[in-house]
Amino acid sequence: MASTRDIRRRIKSVKNTRQITKAMELVAASKMKKAQQAALAGRPYAELMARMLAALADRVEEAHHPFLTRREVKTRGIILVTSDKGLAGPLNANLFKVVTEIKTPAKYVVIGRKGTQFIARTHRDLLADFSVTDRVAFAEVKVVAEFMVKQFLEGVVDTVEILWPRFRNTLIQVPTLLPLLPLASVQAVIADLQADAGLALSSKSEGMGQQMIFEPDAVTVLNALLPLYINREIHQQVLDAKASEHSARMVAMKTAKDNATKLLGDLTLEFNKARQAAITQEILEISAAQFSA
Amino acid sequence: MPLLLEIVTPDARVYSDTIDTVVVPTVEGEVGILPGHIPLLTQVEHGELRVTKGNATFFLAVSGGFAEISGDRVNVLAEHAISEEKIDEKAVEAAMKRAEQELAAAKHLDPQEYEHLQSLVRYSGVQLAVKRRRR
Repeated sequence: MASTRDIRRRIKSVKNTRQITKAMELVAASKMKKAQQAALAGRPYAELMARMLAALADRVEEAHHPFLTRREVKTRGIILVTSDKGLAGPLNANLFKVVTEIKTPAKYVVIGRKGTQFIARTHRDLLADFSVTDRVAFAEVKVVAEFMVKQFLEGVVDTVEILWPRFRNTLIQVPTLLPLLPLASVQAVIADLQADAGLALSSKSEGMGQQMIFEPDAVTVLNALLPLYINREIHQQVLDAKASEHSARMVAMKTAKDNATKLLGDLTLEFNKARQAAITQEILEISAAQFSA
Repeated sequence: MPLLLEIVTPDARVYSDTIDTVVVPTVEGEVGILPGHIPLLTQVEHGELRVTKGNATFFLAVSGGFAEISGDRVNVLAEHAISEEKIDEKAVEAAMKRAEQELAAAKHLDPQEYEHLQSLVRYSGVQLAVKRRRR
């Protein structure tokens, strides 16, 4: 049987672990809430953008924006959104599994250190890596989005897709690969924005676009609005990924904390047994000595 | 009939109130909007938004975006927007200086980065202008 001192040392270390995991769980829980609120705060923006695009779609018969032009796909461009830190359960590993299954040529832009390490280690084509803070300010994500759009326009990549852990609920995050560019149609964009804003689908904008005046003109406004849509879309997904990251970490830390508590119980029991055994042993020795005297 | 002005950015709804008139900086020059304006969709420039409500006048600094005017509603979609009293002059000055230094220091900045810094400098400039005009 292990000595009482060894067991006591182990109890101490398990207690420390439990304390740390408990603190991390609480931190992750509050960060998750914040990330979810931030995602909701983007709703009015989505709603307004949908309205503007709907009005424009009424007027612009056929848009000739490069975003809407489909071309032969030689190289896919994938934005991979991972976390900077580990201890988030299988969150990143699940994403990497999806990446491993991509067999066609692809170039990657990565957000988050874990993803950068993975792409570098597996010798995949890394275009750039970025890092965003927990606050996920729009300006931070905009840099990523504009970088990727530039690659698309210059023909370095022929699609822009985003792979991130979609937040389903606290327990479930699904790695999701979503194509962003080229866009299917302006109508699809409007539908997506309306869904994001939590609105029921309304296909027409009360013919409002017909009387509306556009400055400088409808085509210019539309062309300026589409890149904003891409920026917003990527921003939303990065926020979603943050919520996923924190909820995955929260669950992982809760499990760790529960395990530590259980282990602590077992160890305490073992410690008491060992102590009891030592005392019994001592009494035996003393009384044996007395008998022989 | 009052106007309803709403300013939204990707991070939040910055402003929402009924007002009397608003002057919006657009790519085609400043546009003053009174209730009953014809429907209009226009591109907004970096600049100051002048809002009049009763006898009071407010200023907001906005960076580029779009404005939609229909009936008695004015909706502004901007990347950044901040009302005058919230502008921290010192912080903005510091940010502007940093961006300018980076612009001056790096000759071989990639265009994306350059664009980003330029827009930062422009937006900072607008914020300072808005803040200082009241003195």
